[in-house]
Amino acid sequence: MDRRSFLAGSVATVAASSFATAQSADEIRIGAPLPLTGPLAPEGRKQKRGYDLWAAEVMKRGGVEVGNKKLPVRIIYSDYQSATPRGVQACEFLVNQEKAQFLFAPFGSGAAKAGSAIAERYKIPMLAATASSREVYDQGFKYLFGTFTPNETLTDPLAALVVAKAPAVKKVAIFSRNDLLPLSLATALREGVKRHKLDLVFDEKFAIGALDFAAPLTQMRAAAPDWIFVGGYINDLIQVRTQMRELGLKSQVLTMIAGPAYEEYIQALKGAAENVSSASWWHPSVRYEGEDMFGSTQKYVETFKAAYNGDVPDYAEASASAIGAILQLALKKTGTTDGPAVRDALAAMNVKTFWGPVHFGPSGQIDSLTPPVFQIQGGKTVVLLPDEVKQGDLKLGIS
Amino acid sequence: MNAAILAQVVVNGLLLGGLYAAIAAGFSLVWGVLNVVNMLHGSAVVLGAYAAFFGWQLGINPFLAALLVGPAIGLLGWVVQRFIVQRVIAAPVLITLVLTFALDLILNNAMLAAFTADYRKIGSITGLPPLIVGSVAISADRLIAAVLGIAATFAVHLYLTRSRLGRAIVAVRMDQETARLMGVKVEHIYALTFGLGLALAGVAGCLIAAVFPISPLNSGSYLGVAFVACVLGGLGSVNGAIIGGLVLGVVESLGSMLVGAEYGVTVASVLLILMLLWRPQGLLGRAGYD
Repeated sequence: MDRRSFLAGSVATVAASSFATAQSADEIRIGAPLPLTGPLAPEGRKQKRGYDLWAAEVMKRGGVEVGNKKLPVRIIYSDYQSATPRGVQACEFLVNQEKAQFLFAPFGSGAAKAGSAIAERYKIPMLAATASSREVYDQGFKYLFGTFTPNETLTDPLAALVVAKAPAVKKVAIFSRNDLLPLSLATALREGVKRHKLDLVFDEKFAIGALDFAAPLTQMRAAAPDWIFVGGYINDLIQVRTQMRELGLKSQVLTMIAGPAYEEYIQALKGAAENVSSASWWHPSVRYEGEDMFGSTQKYVETFKAAYNGDVPDYAEASASAIGAILQLALKKTGTTDGPAVRDALAAMNVKTFWGPVHFGPSGQIDSLTPPVFQIQGGKTVVLLPDEVKQGDLKLGIS
Repeated sequence: MNAAILAQVVVNGLLLGGLYAAIAAGFSLVWGVLNVVNMLHGSAVVLGAYAAFFGWQLGINPFLAALLVGPAIGLLGWVVQRFIVQRVIAAPVLITLVLTFALDLILNNAMLAAFTADYRKIGSITGLPPLIVGSVAISADRLIAAVLGIAATFAVHLYLTRSRLGRAIVAVRMDQETARLMGVKVEHIYALTFGLGLALAGVAGCLIAAVFPISPLNSGSYLGVAFVACVLGGLGSVNGAIIGGLVLGVVESLGSMLVGAEYGVTVASVLLILMLLWRPQGLLGRAGYD
């Protein structure tokens, strides 16, 4: 390299780094790796709708308040095609190349756990909208915060409800995707089964990406369970439910997590979705008042419906909007975009939001929510628990 | 395991095996005749499945769509062989393997770009409830797909044994030098065989679309199925592909029942290794045939 080339290169490098610094000073840059295509795309697109709604509402109000000025937000998306290793690469790319100051975690517990190491390494606050497993938060990381309560907060109320409302249920089958969230749900339910002295007659895993479930479902049918619990994501659950019908497998109670709260699940399965029970971290029928930008659950639902042709938000969409609103509150409080300062504000946060009361425990996982239990009845999700927002009673039997 | 469960598991495996036979037959034929390990095969299956999916959106039954999709993808295969693969046909097998692998990457990434990695699914085609025979439940869609898969494979077998061109293909497989001396245009037969192989992949794709969701991400697993069923049945043997496919389907089904649902692929891989150790020519293949 001659001297002229070296000088030209140096000038370009300095100019580029100044440009990046100038960019980061003038706007809030948030990296958002998402599975926008691939098997997890339905979930990824939901998160994107939630983020987009928050960003659009922020921009309508002139930006995020940081110190004495309002800064515009820019969410930089990266599609990792539902492959977790690519999700981790996307986190690295967003921090190093796109100069993201904050990260919204990849979808689900497994990918969020994998990506959180990047956030920790660069001291970038990472907010996870869809990670519930304790294993994600038990890594001792300081920069990771999540809006989903641990999995047993879903399975424990479900088990109590089934035991109370369906005393004939004795035999339980658990069928889980070999992935962090479903396995963690299975572990939590297994504890519940033991506690309620039920009989676990089938307990199997299926591989990520599996399409044919005929053999394990045959085995499950032979065990004649009264309560079938399936853990996976929406594409897995639709496929399992379809093949259950093909094999004539029925039970008194069928529970699936996560996905039945989505309209797409009901539309894909139509009658086969009827009486499928589930639990989620939020439901549009809950009523919270908040200090966040949206103000209340009711106002959030109205804003969402206005933005998306009357669609009602589900928990994944609401959680995505909520992490934006939570980051916004932290930025307002600190008055700076400095990563460690914002991290401390998040760790000390204790506020009311449309998502519910937000307080993060020592591990960074929210510890201030009561997740609702619901069932699909008449093609709609009907809340069964908690009693304050109850819309109906548990119905038994599936077609 | 009682008899009722065993019967259901075997039926599940046979229904799956019918599809596997259709996937494996074309792959086996190309390997046997051209000595080319066609890495493009799995993506061709997925391409056929997409064609069936879009046809279904236009109101065409996927089972009928196979009649159009098979020849169309077969024509694509003919062109690929004639203008690309033929250029390296005399090269060592690793060269052709790398070439078809590159072609597979191109086709797979083109499908990812065009259709994304999302799952697409054709709903129930017959709309019929499962047929109940004793304690065994049989999905009508799966039954038709499996029967058509075996029928398509058997039709290729008949073509190979009863038609003039088919017999020329067999002759080239057995001894291409002698076939050439007998007046067979070997290059023409290579292109025809490659086209026939991909046509079968296209037909298999249509049948798969009737049963499973479709995504370019699945092409690798279909290629794996083709490999194992082909080795089980015997290299180049179309009838062997039927046997290999059915055996693989039943073994996978029994394996996931006995060992665990997440170990289906592991069981198939162990089977492949055992088969290569015990009888590398496959169940219906002949030792030293090539």
